[in-house]
Amino acid sequence: MKKTLLIIFSLMFITSASNAQIINKEPLSQRITGYRIDAKLDPVKKTVTGSMDAFWVNKTADTVNDIQLHLYMNAFRSSKSTFYMGSYQVKDTTIYGRIDISSFTLADGTDLIPLIQYIRPDDGNPNDSTVVKIILPEAAEPGDTVSITVNFMVKLPGKIRRTGYNDDYFFVGQWFPKFGVYEPAGMRYRAAGGWNCHQFHPNSEFYANHSVYDVILTVPDEYIVGSGGMLISEADCGDDNSYKTLTYRAEDIVDFAWTAWPGYAVFTDQWRHVKITLLLPEDRKEQVARQFTAVKNTLEYLTGNVGTYPWPHLTFVDPPAKGSGASGMEYTTIFTSMSSYKMPGFIHFPEMVTVHEFGHAYFMGILATNEFEDPWMDEGINSFWEARIMDHYWGENSGMIDHPLFKMADKTSARSSYVYSPNRQVVSNKENSWNYPLGTYSMMSYMKTSTWLYTLMGIIGEETTNDVFREYYKRWAFKHPAPKDFIDVVNDVVKKNYGDKFGPDINWFFDETLYGTGICDYKVAAFNNIRQDTAKVRKNEADTLLRIKPSTDSLYKCSVGLDRLGEVMLPVEVLIHFSDGHETLSNWDGKDRFKKIEVLSNSEIQWVKIDPEYKIRMDVNFINNSLTYEPDRVPVKRITNKFISFLQFFVSSVTL
Amino acid sequence: MKIFKALAAGFYRTLKAWKGILLIWFGSLLTVSLVAIPMKGFLKSALGGSMITEKLRDGIDFEVFGDLGSGFRNLIASFPSGLLLLVLLGILLNAFLSGGIFDTLKGSSPKFTGNDFFKACAKNFWSFLVISLIISAILSVLFILLFILPIALVAQSDSGSESAPYITAVISFALFFFVSLIFILTADYARAWQAANDKSACFSAIGYGFSRTFSKFLSSFPTMLILVAVQMLFTFLVFAIMGRWTPDTGGGVFLLFIISQIAFYTKSGLKVWRYGSVTSLKEINDLMKEEVAPPVSQNFQA
Ligand SMILES: [Zn+2]
Repeated sequence: MKKTLLIIFSLMFITSASNAQIINKEPLSQRITGYRIDAKLDPVKKTVTGSMDAFWVNKTADTVNDIQLHLYMNAFRSSKSTFYMGSYQVKDTTIYGRIDISSFTLADGTDLIPLIQYIRPDDGNPNDSTVVKIILPEAAEPGDTVSITVNFMVKLPGKIRRTGYNDDYFFVGQWFPKFGVYEPAGMRYRAAGGWNCHQFHPNSEFYANHSVYDVILTVPDEYIVGSGGMLISEADCGDDNSYKTLTYRAEDIVDFAWTAWPGYAVFTDQWRHVKITLLLPEDRKEQVARQFTAVKNTLEYLTGNVGTYPWPHLTFVDPPAKGSGASGMEYTTIFTSMSSYKMPGFIHFPEMVTVHEFGHAYFMGILATNEFEDPWMDEGINSFWEARIMDHYWGENSGMIDHPLFKMADKTSARSSYVYSPNRQVVSNKENSWNYPLGTYSMMSYMKTSTWLYTLMGIIGEETTNDVFREYYKRWAFKHPAPKDFIDVVNDVVKKNYGDKFGPDINWFFDETLYGTGICDYKVAAFNNIRQDTAKVRKNEADTLLRIKPSTDSLYKCSVGLDRLGEVMLPVEVLIHFSDGHETLSNWDGKDRFKKIEVLSNSEIQWVKIDPEYKIRMDVNFINNSLTYEPDRVPVKRITNKFISFLQFFVSSVTL
Repeated sequence: MKIFKALAAGFYRTLKAWKGILLIWFGSLLTVSLVAIPMKGFLKSALGGSMITEKLRDGIDFEVFGDLGSGFRNLIASFPSGLLLLVLLGILLNAFLSGGIFDTLKGSSPKFTGNDFFKACAKNFWSFLVISLIISAILSVLFILLFILPIALVAQSDSGSESAPYITAVISFALFFFVSLIFILTADYARAWQAANDKSACFSAIGYGFSRTFSKFLSSFPTMLILVAVQMLFTFLVFAIMGRWTPDTGGGVFLLFIISQIAFYTKSGLKVWRYGSVTSLKEINDLMKEEVAPPVSQNFQA
């Protein structure tokens, strides 16, 4: 009897989840997976107990023998898990986390627990239990639906690392058993069909089918909850109504996370069709306007230059100090920012985190790339847009810090991290997230990518760059693009806008930047001006001397030496300025190790600049991009003078 | 009334000591140049013939400094030790020159002469050095106890309130500020006493400083508060104005140099005003005390 009811209920859920739309009229993605979770938070025991009905539909032409799921809470089960081994070790075992499965059945009641195998596809670490594989009693044929019911208990980890608790603060992410992605042959260019289900790594955690979520959360009444879903209903429950039940619905998102804390103050705002909810500590109320401005600017910029934000709801959280371990994380329709009490207005750090984490809704959420295998497509592309948005709205030279004494652009901070890294050449940008050599992951996936995307924009222009991303969104929204798909889009758009200007394709750019480890460094080595015997030159080279005016007598043979110091070859502009004020701008394909430019002119060269607008931001040294024999020393003198005064005042103030 | 009398007398005596202040200014410029000149040389050679300095026209551009490469990173890394060296040199120089300054500020001082000034510098040097080292050490300990420690404790206590560490920081800094005034007064009284005595006796001087600070607290403390507040306000104004002023011509930069050096001369003058006012206060109180109490130096042998 009970079993029949369960089957009927599960079927109802599957039909409702796959067909009924609550948030958007039409599904935005294929209904491959869906989840209905009923969970209760115990704030004393620090547990979340839940029961989950979930389905996976075999939409491929393959016969699939197994299912694979993430059990990411088990990353906190052992100090030797892949997650802990890759970050810091937690000594206190009482605050470890885990997920215990008490029952795991198919919709027909078949017990799957005996069939559970822990697998470690990435590193073979026997102490890691974050991925399970279950050989199905009956293989899933094309079109079949595998429905599972799982009862589980999550013990949250006590030192929040993205997810967990601290005192009465809870951020619950990566908490329920979640399907991996079954990829048929050809999807993301794989040779044979199979599950793509990676372990939980310190640096990457997202790759999933867009799903529907019906989540019912029960928490003590005094807790204020935020989640990636849209609140459908709320009701009191439990003895003397000391608990409340919140029902959420989410569609077409890749992960469902939530937070609960009694101390949140809740604010809402509206941007076009999007209702935005902000949860933050009472003490930070004065930052509400800053935070909403950051989100709305991002919505405006990404809508205009990439594509629409398709959901009518968005929740974001600025965790309190005790929940800072959950700061700066993205879960598409919920994300977390990072700030502190009395954060000065000239430091745009909270805005930057908000812009960044919300940007992931596009580059991880809508364009659901594989963060494990192609982290640059998520973090790197997102960092590029973060910098563009910050510098666009908060100042081209002051996107990050805007103080009369010190300014810094967001794009500068990204470039600096790459350019100054001693490890900038040890690995290419195309690497699995967990394979990056120690200390290079964020520099490579975030900063180098952002910097070469700026360089690409320098070459193809801002409008074409936006066209590229609009097309990328159009082709790949709610699908799972691979690196080649992005490059194909760039090739097509550049061809459409420029024809063959950059060659038959622009793959050479990606070979140098994405797949290469070389650095880019162009230098103006030298220039000179040799006075000529005018009459003689006129006679011999009359046809080339366009610049000689009969009235002027002096004539110079001007030579410029340019060097390519790095391995990377990119087209650059060369600007030559002459003492009579005229300038010539020429293009150099940047391929030779050195290049000599010779011109005859009736005035001398005063200065030479390679890439005068600093568009090739990958160039690791902008200082040698220009040369003059009469450099402007005024700024150095000014800085030294100010430095002297500062030191004088400082020493005088600290001595008696 | 006593306060304003002391401030006025201190101000008048400061004007008389203008040559001594000139020496303070010059000594400071010289020592600071030990660090600043090599930095300028490094910047000049590292930037070479580059036109990137255009990016520095409106202020400091982080991108330019980063591209200076490892040389710049080494320069930054050596900055804290350079600063420490400067502070140590500053303490030595201050111990030396303030010996002459306090001597000049005495009510009984004749007209300023270089000979007398340097004689007094030499005479007071060791005593002044010990006084300033002891008081500086006490102030450093107080800074940790009254400012750093409370913030660390509140931040660690996990009280849940985010404003608590901030409010603690404000309160504990205010507390440190007011307590530090007592020790600055002690140092100034001690040096004024030492300058007035022929025998070098730094510990007696410090004892006198403490005693006088507390026995004449109601007049001493407000005087010091006014003097330090004026100095702080002046420093703040100079930084606010100089920081925002970014001249882009050689002449403009020269003007910046001149004005900032005049500002530093004024700042040194304000410090000397502090010395002078405390010296005057000491002398006013001495005059009142002479009739009722035995000479102060004898007090401390008991
Ligand atoms: Zn990110």
